[in-house]
Amino acid sequence: MKMTHWRTAALVVSFMVWLVSCSILGRDASPETLFAVPAGFPEPTYNLSKNPITNDGVALGKKLFYDGILSRDGTIACGECHNQSHAFTHHGHGFSHGIDNQEGTRNAPPLANLAWQDSFFWDGGVFDLDLFSIAPIENPIEMDEKIGNVLAKLRASKEYPSLFKKAYGSEDITTERFLKALSQFMLTLVSANSKYDQFLAGKAQLTADEAAGLQLFKDKGCASCHSSILFTDHSFRSNGLLPEYNGDLGRYRITENVADKNKFKVPTLRNIEVTYPYMHDGRFLNLEGVLQHYAEGVKETGSLDQLLKQPGRLGINMTKEEQQKIIAFLKTLTDQEFLKNPRFATP
Amino acid sequence: MKTFKFLAIALIASTLFWSCNKEEEIGPNDKNALTVEFDNYVGNEKLVLETKSYKNAANEDFTITTLNYFVSNIALKKADGTEVKFPDKYFLIRQADTKTLTISLPDVPAGDYTSMSYMIGVDSLKSISDVAQRTGVLDPASYGTDNMYWSWNAGYIFFKLEGNSSAATTPTKKFQFHIGGFGGKTAVTANNLRTVTASFGTTAAQVRKDIAPTVHVITDVLQTFSQGVSIAKTSVVMNPAASKPIADGYAKMFKVEHVHNDKM
Repeated sequence: MKMTHWRTAALVVSFMVWLVSCSILGRDASPETLFAVPAGFPEPTYNLSKNPITNDGVALGKKLFYDGILSRDGTIACGECHNQSHAFTHHGHGFSHGIDNQEGTRNAPPLANLAWQDSFFWDGGVFDLDLFSIAPIENPIEMDEKIGNVLAKLRASKEYPSLFKKAYGSEDITTERFLKALSQFMLTLVSANSKYDQFLAGKAQLTADEAAGLQLFKDKGCASCHSSILFTDHSFRSNGLLPEYNGDLGRYRITENVADKNKFKVPTLRNIEVTYPYMHDGRFLNLEGVLQHYAEGVKETGSLDQLLKQPGRLGINMTKEEQQKIIAFLKTLTDQEFLKNPRFATP
Repeated sequence: MKTFKFLAIALIASTLFWSCNKEEEIGPNDKNALTVEFDNYVGNEKLVLETKSYKNAANEDFTITTLNYFVSNIALKKADGTEVKFPDKYFLIRQADTKTLTISLPDVPAGDYTSMSYMIGVDSLKSISDVAQRTGVLDPASYGTDNMYWSWNAGYIFFKLEGNSSAATTPTKKFQFHIGGFGGKTAVTANNLRTVTASFGTTAAQVRKDIAPTVHVITDVLQTFSQGVSIAKTSVVMNPAASKPIADGYAKMFKVEHVHNDKM
């Protein structure tokens, strides 16, 4: 009897709290809107319980993402090389440009669906999204700053202490809070509403070419590596590119295992239409170049993926017409809502 | 006044008597701190940064500008083999910062300890831990320009030796040994974690409620070069796979010189 009373009281109280919080926070998105696992997606790899996503946390992360204060001279923000309109890649740049207009050695990878990624960078050198942001900040040719300095600048700023307080309950600006706020914003960058997703949900029709392209995408083996709803199996593979530009050996740099020379992370193909140029070194300007590479340009790299070794030939046997159809399908992976969502946009 | 003095003397006398009587007894809850001093040498000479020139086994002259290393997973061992472990204590020894050369283990249970072991580096579990676990000397924001964390190949630099040498093949004649590699998370990679065991010799560290021993460790940085390492062959080492002989070498550089068991 007593228990029931307690329960009722607890229910009433929580209902009142809910009412109050709704009226106060009404203008904010609910945590579910900030981050949700889309239909058909697996469980996230990122442990969300260690960094619960909140409105204020995401707002802080977004502000940090777009603030040059993270770089040595205040000029380079994360958003510099990760533009929303190009699925958070550095549009048009083969190698991404950093501080003092120095050129990097790799093409900035897209930022989308990071909650499902278990390693970061083309070589997978970082295994935790929370530890990721240290690298571009401290890289001398990207932002060339020290994390300790960044925190000191944030502490001395007018606005950040109160933003940290809003997000975490006190003005303390620590490495953990700083990195986890950036993670919170990046975790919200979920892309799952492309034409292809709508097609899967029965809300859109593919054209004849797109449908044929989807079939070819499966039949020709593209989907073996660019697999699942995420369009990557997160593995490291050599797709027949020799290190022609800057001797970048990819995964080998991290594992120092000879078998990993010339292997790079299989990137997602979501929003691939807008993430040009392509490959880790941005060597192909357009998707035609990419498909042509798989059809005619694959080289023996010493670690070339078995899937690209066909009897009597390297690469994938595809006609020009088939390549065009696959490209038509790939373009259905463009998610306009993601590319234009004001929640992700430059403030 | 007189009465006060008498009382005070009596009190002190009885305290002395009482403590003398109790000397050999160890209470079950007696604890004290144990201090370890790291005294870095090069051969028989005390390490002096920047100015002093040394010679390694390959007969290469060199100076040292930076010597840093992590000490973790300390365990104190008694003669009967039982151990007291300090699993969540991480220390960064930096020659340039004198106060880091002395580390303190609080609340060591009273007892006679005959040896200690510790890891040079940051164990794999900590190396893959959540950023919330990376505070103090493990905070990537704490290093300033003397970095001890690899952001591009996530992991700590366990041991860092830098200096100048006429044998160096770099344009600036600088040599840099940055040794890390905890074994990898997403793939098996080189593991350069080394555990050192150092005997306290004839004098055990006697932790009592009134004794906080100091263990004096002497290192010999020349051991870094003892496994066929030469500055001419490898002036810059920053990749774990090539670091094995260096890690094997510096794992031999630690010796306990003596133990102080002074009463407090």
